[in-house]
Amino acid sequence: MRQDEKIISNIDWPLLGVFLLLMLMGLATVYSVAYNPEHPNIFDFSQKYGKQLVWLFVSLFLGLLVLLIDADIYRKFATPIYLFTLVLLVIVLFMPSKNGARAWLGIGTLGIQPAEFAKIGTALLLARYISSVNIKLQNLNTVLVANAIILVPMVLILLQPDAGTFVVYTSFLFVMYREGITYDPLVLKLINLIPGIKFKQTWVGSHFIPILFAVVFLCLTTLLVSNNVITFDFLPGVEIPGIVGVLLTLVVISIFGLYIVRYIGSRRDRKNALVVIIIGFSLCSLISLGTNYGFQSLAKHQKERIELFLGLREDPDGDDYNRNRAMAAVGSGGLLGKGYNKASVSSVETNHVPESETDFIFCPYAEEWGFLGTFVFVGLYMFMLFRVIMIAERQRSRFVRVYAYTVAMILFYHFAVNVGMDIGFAPVIGIPLPFFSYGGSSMMSFSMFMFILLRLDSQRSYILQ
Amino acid sequence: MNFDNRKYVIISFIITVGIIYAFRLFYMQVVDDSWALRAQQISEKRKVITPPRSAVYDRNGVKIVSNRTFYNLMMVEANIKNLDTVAFAKLIGWDVPRVKARFREIVQGEGVYFNKHTGKTSSNYQKIRPYAFIEEMTLDEIANIASHLEEFKGFYEEVTSMRSYTYASGANIFGYISEVYQEEIDKDSYYRRGDNIGRAGIERFYEQELRGRKGVRYIVTSAMNNDVEPYMNGKYDTIAKQGPDFKLGIDIELQAYGEKLLKGKRGCVVAIEPSTGEILALVSAPSFDPNLLVGKRKIRKNYPALAKDPDKPLYPRPLAAQYPPGSIFKLLQSLIALQEGVITPEYGFPCNKSMVGCHNHPNAGNLPDGIKFSCNPYFYSVTKKVIQEGRSKNNFVDAEMGLNKWADYMHSFGLGKKFDTDITGLTSGLIPDAKYYDKWYGHHRWAFSTIRSISIGQGEVQLTPIQMANVGAMIANRGWFYTPHFVKSIGRKGPLPEYKKKHYTMVDAHHFDAVKEGMRRVVNEDGGTGRQARSKDYITCGKTGTVENKPKKDHSVFLAFAPMKNPKISIVVFIENAGFGGTWAAPIAGLMIEKYIKGTVSDTVKEKRILDFNVY
Repeated sequence: MRQDEKIISNIDWPLLGVFLLLMLMGLATVYSVAYNPEHPNIFDFSQKYGKQLVWLFVSLFLGLLVLLIDADIYRKFATPIYLFTLVLLVIVLFMPSKNGARAWLGIGTLGIQPAEFAKIGTALLLARYISSVNIKLQNLNTVLVANAIILVPMVLILLQPDAGTFVVYTSFLFVMYREGITYDPLVLKLINLIPGIKFKQTWVGSHFIPILFAVVFLCLTTLLVSNNVITFDFLPGVEIPGIVGVLLTLVVISIFGLYIVRYIGSRRDRKNALVVIIIGFSLCSLISLGTNYGFQSLAKHQKERIELFLGLREDPDGDDYNRNRAMAAVGSGGLLGKGYNKASVSSVETNHVPESETDFIFCPYAEEWGFLGTFVFVGLYMFMLFRVIMIAERQRSRFVRVYAYTVAMILFYHFAVNVGMDIGFAPVIGIPLPFFSYGGSSMMSFSMFMFILLRLDSQRSYILQ
Repeated sequence: MNFDNRKYVIISFIITVGIIYAFRLFYMQVVDDSWALRAQQISEKRKVITPPRSAVYDRNGVKIVSNRTFYNLMMVEANIKNLDTVAFAKLIGWDVPRVKARFREIVQGEGVYFNKHTGKTSSNYQKIRPYAFIEEMTLDEIANIASHLEEFKGFYEEVTSMRSYTYASGANIFGYISEVYQEEIDKDSYYRRGDNIGRAGIERFYEQELRGRKGVRYIVTSAMNNDVEPYMNGKYDTIAKQGPDFKLGIDIELQAYGEKLLKGKRGCVVAIEPSTGEILALVSAPSFDPNLLVGKRKIRKNYPALAKDPDKPLYPRPLAAQYPPGSIFKLLQSLIALQEGVITPEYGFPCNKSMVGCHNHPNAGNLPDGIKFSCNPYFYSVTKKVIQEGRSKNNFVDAEMGLNKWADYMHSFGLGKKFDTDITGLTSGLIPDAKYYDKWYGHHRWAFSTIRSISIGQGEVQLTPIQMANVGAMIANRGWFYTPHFVKSIGRKGPLPEYKKKHYTMVDAHHFDAVKEGMRRVVNEDGGTGRQARSKDYITCGKTGTVENKPKKDHSVFLAFAPMKNPKISIVVFIENAGFGGTWAAPIAGLMIEKYIKGTVSDTVKEKRILDFNVY
């Protein structure tokens, strides 16, 4: 009893609140998008919203169980859980393929996607491994083991194939980066091979991951928007090439960053910040311009292949169908949206946007609630991510901190890619929007992720390891 | 080593993405309209509903132009699945090659879009768009097909409305409708491809009123192009509205009777109600059944034949043909002379045939008799008095001043210019003035003797039949007329204000009595030239005309109004190449007047004689 009371008072209510709110918003959107006038009852379990409601209750029930179990078991049983999910990933490869991928485990419509749960296993084991390392972190062995923990499920997932979850797995690299496990030992090994050079560490090596991702993100965005021409209704005749738009955005972000640092940082920080931002801006601009130049100077067929991969072909009814429809749905929302249950482009009934109840669920939401809705949505997600990072940073246990970071980064990845593909900033990769998308596996796995974090956090005063 | 600072890297990553996404969403959803337009393109169908055109009634409330429902067999290629061409061909009663040819025709022909700016034609055929596979089928034709259409996915029937005419007459009054041209679409945004537009007559003049107001329905469509639901519950929809009912001054029975009488002849009849200016009948012979030009299929078939016909049935003779008026012009010469005071009703002149030829008749001792005998020398002298009034000692200057004065009178009778009215295809006729002759002969190089043939309505003078009929109405009204027009009322609006304005001539009312008396004698006294138009029951006033048309046979003309007191109808009959005015035009006018005033015709012998007469 005493312990339960402690849980209730120690639980992070803001996080739980925003998480439940997002779940309810998701359910409402699924109800709206898959609405069937012949079965208007949300408790009609033949309909998708009825099923989603069941998944929601199952998830909450599992969450309750998680909250009741002592959090210590996750650290203790991290390896068996990880191995169990690996076994599931292997078994699924022998299952009949569905939509071109062997991702489903189960009978008929009742199935789960092991890949969704594998993320939990990987997160737990990675956290356990990193927290157990007493040795100096910048060690080649550590780096290799940590990478192996991630790579094994990644390979299995790629065999399904499930490109989306594969990409999401790279989020673990950020967690490793936060914990100091970087590729620096590898880089050092290579650099120190050169006679006469003896570095203890390299800047590039230790910040390899964020740099890599910044570069990839910048390149992708540049490629995606470089062909666009931005025009304004109120400024007829003014046409801004996409690349200029990217550079302008970089300028705006730099100025923003400068002001934020000025506002919160110390005097020394300000000086450093200016230098960092100027250098960062220059580098980003160079990368962006370079990508643009490189892309434009490619041969035609090479260009086409890249465009095809990015879903960029000028073929709104063919290769670019999904992205075009999704963007049209989002863009048609306007400021205030078309109103609940009024989505005309992305409802399941009209079916212009495919998978609008699962991977493209942001489209009907954006169409019905407009910018007001999407702004609130982005805000809620940002709040949730910051809250998770805040929770991570207040842990005394390293295990919990690493785990919390995995939660934050996986949620961030899903958010960035899923929303990104609906607004033309990310290639079309089929991954669900956590707590929103219809589907039992993602609903349950993300809830478990969240509840395990909440439980671990509630015991923060006495989990020290 | 402390890695705590690295959390800022991660946080800044998240912040950056969040801010960029928020800005991007703001741009896409609020600033940039192109995605909303794209969404509309993808998911909405704008269904335009064209209302049937206004119904048209005659002066007695008989519906003369109405609408009939026709059916198009539509196809949407995207929805066609596993078409059994043989069975389909059998259903519509075609053979297989014809079905295939029609498909090709639609894909290559109807789908082609001509871009004016690039000057290139490009294929605009879209598989998800509906096209008419067979157009304008009657209920009988579609009835057998429609019941089996379910078996042929992608085909469906669509209702269209087309004109239908109760009587096979009045084609030249109503005009016809046909599909709009690209230039018309460019000019008026009301029209879309496939819409109809009025091409002639009333259909053209009152296009704006007749076409009504289109309705628009916005429909949300699915990715399969099926209708799903009204967009926003029909919030932006508008209802199609048919144009208001039209009531014409036409008496359709009289019109049909006129066309019947003129069968086998070239010429025209124009009848006007003098007290209103409403046109009672406007017969152009040869005429044709207006139902011949209904719908694309019939127009394609019949229009070329009508256009090529040497007797020009499409040519609106009463409005556009310009004839020398002949002897009916003498009425106007009399009026001008009386007003000018150069003669009195008692003026006499011997038929000496020295200057102009004449037929044999007693000498006219006064104006009414001059009209009765239609004596050429009499009117030669009357017109000479008008032209050579002696305003100047110089004969040439005198003639110039006289002619210009004379032309002013003629203009005040509504001649020499187009009526500003709801009739399309009018011409102005010709009233020569001094300037006109100067061009021919030189300034002050001509006098009355040069231009004397105008005195008997020959030579340069030209009138359209509708102008002649209006002259009758003007005399009947003793000096004023309303502009002749077709439409009596549109919806609840009565006569349009422009047709309620009296046009006064330059001749005072009392001068008309002698002319009217003369016209009475023409018809009602023995020795008058228009005895064939006489009726026992009312007094008809008339004037014959025989227009020289050398080397061909003369035109036969008769101008009349009746009854003499409170005239109800003014009529002109003009039969090309028929000979003497009293022989053909007068009896036709008589029959028409009787038909209008009494509703039936008593003299069936006369009627038969006219019907049996063929000019060609």
